[in-house]
Amino acid sequence: MSTYEEEHGIQQNSTQEMRETSREEQRRQIRSQLQGLFQGSANTSGGGNGYSDSTLLLQLLSQLLPESLQEEWLQEMDKGKNTGCPDSFAASLPRINRKKLNSTDNCSICYTNYLEDEYPLVVELPHCNHRFDLECLSVWLSRSTTCPLCRDDVMGHRIINDIDTNEAELEEDWGMYG
Amino acid sequence: MASLPKRIIKETEKLVSDPVPGITAEPHDDNLRYFQVTIEGPEQSPYEDGVFELELYLPDDYPMEAPKVRFLTRIYHPNIDRLGRICLDVLKTNWSPALQIRTVLLSIQALLASPNPNDPLANDVAEDWIKNEEGAKAKAREWTRSFAKKKPE
Repeated sequence: MSTYEEEHGIQQNSTQEMRETSREEQRRQIRSQLQGLFQGSANTSGGGNGYSDSTLLLQLLSQLLPESLQEEWLQEMDKGKNTGCPDSFAASLPRINRKKLNSTDNCSICYTNYLEDEYPLVVELPHCNHRFDLECLSVWLSRSTTCPLCRDDVMGHRIINDIDTNEAELEEDWGMYG
Repeated sequence: MASLPKRIIKETEKLVSDPVPGITAEPHDDNLRYFQVTIEGPEQSPYEDGVFELELYLPDDYPMEAPKVRFLTRIYHPNIDRLGRICLDVLKTNWSPALQIRTVLLSIQALLASPNPNDPLANDVAEDWIKNEEGAKAKAREWTRSFAKKKPE
């Protein structure tokens, strides 16, 4: 036969345990909801009401959240985003013949004089015509779509070409089915 | 430690042989990617006559990634927070590998000359700056006198 105290002791313990688990569960839920909000609002780029609301929300959140957590989430977001050019882009750029390079020309990414290399692999960006070592530029273009020197959007000029090819293919397809 | 990229060596040499007026940057003996930096407060700004200490670190991915820079000296500025972190586009989204330590430090010096309270990092300071610019500038001058080293005559 159990005493009153024992019963209540056990009861109290188990309720406390239950409370602990539900609190842990709640915490986890809130954490994932906050993360959703944080990333959702940071990803919003459209205009209108939604934008200003989420900016406000983001500001509020960033004040409430510990910095370590913010950093972690921002890094996660960056990983998910593919901000660079496709690998094929840098490889497709026109290469500059060694004879066309001046003895003073150097790569503004690694600072090495192009002609120091017996077989320099130098490429030129479309439109802005800025030149870099292919190796250096490839690394940069895997994270960005802008020219390091003038911030020209290098992919901007390419999309037009892509649309043209697509249309040509589309017409061919129609021909097949026509 | 991995060997230091040629670019970092060249930049360091240039910083020493041809320093930017009002700015010093010296690499640490033990870690050549870690720089101790001083920036003189620009003339006619509330930071005039103060010398501010900063730390600059070149991450492994530099120059694909921006240097990490932080004020060590306390400063009252709407784009610099209590921990010395700096809100400056070229240190974040507008970084480019064609920029360098020199240009980053010049940008920071320019930020001291023209604070931008509309893009704040220190919200309370920015609010103060917008509401009462003269008062905020007075406070910035006071902090400069209290915390920044004196510019040598």
